[in-house]
Amino acid sequence: MRKLAVDVVVIGGGSTGAGVVRDVAMRGYSAVLVDRADLGQGTTGRFHGLLHSGGRYVVSDPLSATECAEENDIVTRIQSSAVETTGGYFVTCPGDDPEFADKFLAGAAATGVWAREVSVSEALRNEPRLNPGISRAIEVKDGTVDGWQLVWGAANSARHYGAEILTYHRVTKIETSGGAVTAVRCIDERRGEELVIDTNFVLNCGGPWAGQIAAMAGAHPVEVVPGRGIMIAMNHRLVNRVVNRCIYPADGDILVPAHTVSIIGTTDVKVDDPDHLAIEPNEVQQMLDAGEVLVPGFRASRALHAWAGARPLIKDDRVSASDTRHMSRGMAVIDHTTRDGLDGMLTIGGGKLTTYRLMAEHIVDAMCDKLGEQRECRTAREAIPGSESGRTHKVSDRLAEREEDRFDSQIICECELMSRKMFVDAMNAQPEASFDDLRRQLRLGMGPCQGGFCSTRATGIAHADGRLSAEQATALMRLFLKNRWIGLWPILYGEQVRQTALDNWIFATLDVAHLPEPESEVTA
Amino acid sequence: MSRVVVIGAGLAGLVAANRLADAGLAVTLLHKGLGGLQLGQGSIDVFGYAPDRVLNPIKAVSQVATSHPYAATGSSAVLDGLAYLKQELPELLVGDPEANYQLPTAVGSVRPTCLAQPSMIAGHVRDGAELVIVGIRQLKDFHPQLVAENLSRTVLPDGGRLSARHVWVDLPARDGEVDSSPVGYARAFDTEAFRIAFATALSPQLNGDEIVGLPAVVGLTDPKAWRDLAGKLGHLVFEIPLPPPSIPGMRLNQALTARALAANVRIVPGVRTHAFSTVAGRVASVTTAAGPGGRTYPADAFVLATGGFESGALELDSHQVVRETLFGLPLTGVGDGALLHGDYWGPEQPLFRVGVSVDDRMRPVDPWGAPAYPNLWAAGGILAGASGWRELSGDGIAVASAVAAAAAITKELS
Repeated sequence: MRKLAVDVVVIGGGSTGAGVVRDVAMRGYSAVLVDRADLGQGTTGRFHGLLHSGGRYVVSDPLSATECAEENDIVTRIQSSAVETTGGYFVTCPGDDPEFADKFLAGAAATGVWAREVSVSEALRNEPRLNPGISRAIEVKDGTVDGWQLVWGAANSARHYGAEILTYHRVTKIETSGGAVTAVRCIDERRGEELVIDTNFVLNCGGPWAGQIAAMAGAHPVEVVPGRGIMIAMNHRLVNRVVNRCIYPADGDILVPAHTVSIIGTTDVKVDDPDHLAIEPNEVQQMLDAGEVLVPGFRASRALHAWAGARPLIKDDRVSASDTRHMSRGMAVIDHTTRDGLDGMLTIGGGKLTTYRLMAEHIVDAMCDKLGEQRECRTAREAIPGSESGRTHKVSDRLAEREEDRFDSQIICECELMSRKMFVDAMNAQPEASFDDLRRQLRLGMGPCQGGFCSTRATGIAHADGRLSAEQATALMRLFLKNRWIGLWPILYGEQVRQTALDNWIFATLDVAHLPEPESEVTA
Repeated sequence: MSRVVVIGAGLAGLVAANRLADAGLAVTLLHKGLGGLQLGQGSIDVFGYAPDRVLNPIKAVSQVATSHPYAATGSSAVLDGLAYLKQELPELLVGDPEANYQLPTAVGSVRPTCLAQPSMIAGHVRDGAELVIVGIRQLKDFHPQLVAENLSRTVLPDGGRLSARHVWVDLPARDGEVDSSPVGYARAFDTEAFRIAFATALSPQLNGDEIVGLPAVVGLTDPKAWRDLAGKLGHLVFEIPLPPPSIPGMRLNQALTARALAANVRIVPGVRTHAFSTVAGRVASVTTAAGPGGRTYPADAFVLATGGFESGALELDSHQVVRETLFGLPLTGVGDGALLHGDYWGPEQPLFRVGVSVDDRMRPVDPWGAPAYPNLWAAGGILAGASGWRELSGDGIAVASAVAAAAAITKELS
């Protein structure tokens, strides 16, 4: 058993937890973040990549709209390397109420969200694949953000301020004594070792898993209602700006250009278990139909991958009126002192990735209040490491980098232009990573071939590096291919079937199915 | 006018065209892309897994279910086709229909195949063999350390064990390159100068009687390149196939194409055949998308050798409907439930068994067993009822069905 002692333990390595641990560390507290898996493996890694301008909420949720507009500016400034400032359109499609655009413009003016109506011809000139039947178009400052880079950026910033980030550490119990938190018990999943972290404060940032975590402290049940949303990545950028339907927020009304793909989203279905999110055929068809409204011919485009995420919605009648100071629309801080008579724990739920920094500020402010301390939040002022220049991401960045180093390093993933050096550096930085963990940071296997060429290269390199035995490397490859398939088969049609068949022939040439079996299958 | 039009230039199309031309028929071969040979391993698989590892492929052929393409072709067409390939391409294919080679792959599996290139067969795994697997730093699709370690921990099909180690050679295909393609290396190995440089770099690293495993890039146009290198090294060498582009596959493709041209097959590359016409229930012509209005090719007989999903011969649309894309032929294997499932390492996806069913003369049939068109034949990956990459049976099915179809057409037209 290993022991640590810190001021604050942050549970959950999504955007909220990463933002919180950064904020806590910047305010001078010693802190540890624990997550049962890798950073950004839950909801944060399973959204569409939209950095809201606020436009989506100008009519339905004005407070959120203002928050989004403000936070969009801040995130673009402090995490510029994770953000692409694509801009966006809200368009009135055939059959949509054209008067909603008037409400939209009025709402934007009232909430401080920048918006400007442009002519249909200008919109179609800039986005030629848009439905030519649109009747109105409003330009907004939507952008896209890479959730994994956002989380890793915040986590690295926190490390810089002395925090420790412990991935693959599953919390088993939150110890209490005399009505106050005393320690967090975890299992180090990679070593099978127990870790006990003595602390007086726990910030529960578990998102859809927040209820399960609160229960570990013996708190009254926190009712989390995970809302499942599916997203589909289409090959290429069908649009270069975020395109939203100019309607009251609904399913399948956003198309987001992210890196080399465009992502259509999303649905909202209540589910019981955030660990088991199905990608239902009817929802896939619903997304394809929705895509067809925005971009005619959408169905004939190539779908690459689908995934489902769970919104972290907390429905809790026990949140008392005294908490509202730290609550705003869409996010909620639960004070377990007033609610459960338990000191030293706060839970946060709701919110959205765009406002992750603000959520962190709210919950850490609340913690400082409870501790009776005045420590100022500085997260909005300082850029995270790697974003100091303020230069935002461009889709062409990797191409420029590979042009630069093409005589120095091999290209291991042609689809996503990932070099051997990028892969080796990431392995060295995270020696215990699975290929999926590396994928989230490098986009390994996320392009059209979905691992057909790069998966065996990654295996060979990981093994040649000496860190893994052939058996371990082979087991990681088997897991990687299995996980790729989870997001492939629900959307497998058209050109992607052709790719899958080619991949199957390649794997037959290599006979990967008959590599000597590992002693035990790797499952995470 | 040709008497027969063959559509598709994979192994099935090339064998069919050659056999028909050999029988004295005027043949036109239409093809859109490269043909599947250049994407495969460059050996001839007949039956590798059924589902256990197959030692005697022709015996496995004789034991298939009635829905399998081999049931339509019969074992004799397989034997006929294999004998034909060995006879026509003696420098490129050797082997025994009754005994698979068991050859190392580029990740270190042991892969069964029936006919192999002479440059590959020293790799056939044997108890007590000592192998040294040679990587080239600038060639990213070959992992010598992984090959060696996986082979070393493998119990061989005969229960034995071999030992394998790895070494590296640092030699760019062209000066300054760090990321050379297999084709770049194959062209380099075609030159004596590069073989000398390679042998000079490798020789000091070799011990005793070690058998030397190399990535399959040792020469593209010079069929003796590998023998020359082996002589220079003074060791037995063997080539291990890589992912596409496949140099051994390109060798087979070049040889079969050259043979077809020599037999007066008219080859029209780079054209997609997209339409057809009928007269009195027979196929009268097919039309390619070449130039305005396309170009029409009438014939007495047509061979559909367009492949499967990988080539676009079969298509699954976003509403989950499968279609044969040229003739809209009736398909077997659809409508029996879900086409796909989520278990990647589990049973074969039913989708990939979908294809056309044929009668005993290799003509596509409707659900009642009647030929869709009396003068349309099918061969290769378009056939229903097998999963070539899972059984490692794709080449054998292609060759046997092409031989059987060519025989039926020859009989019909003469």
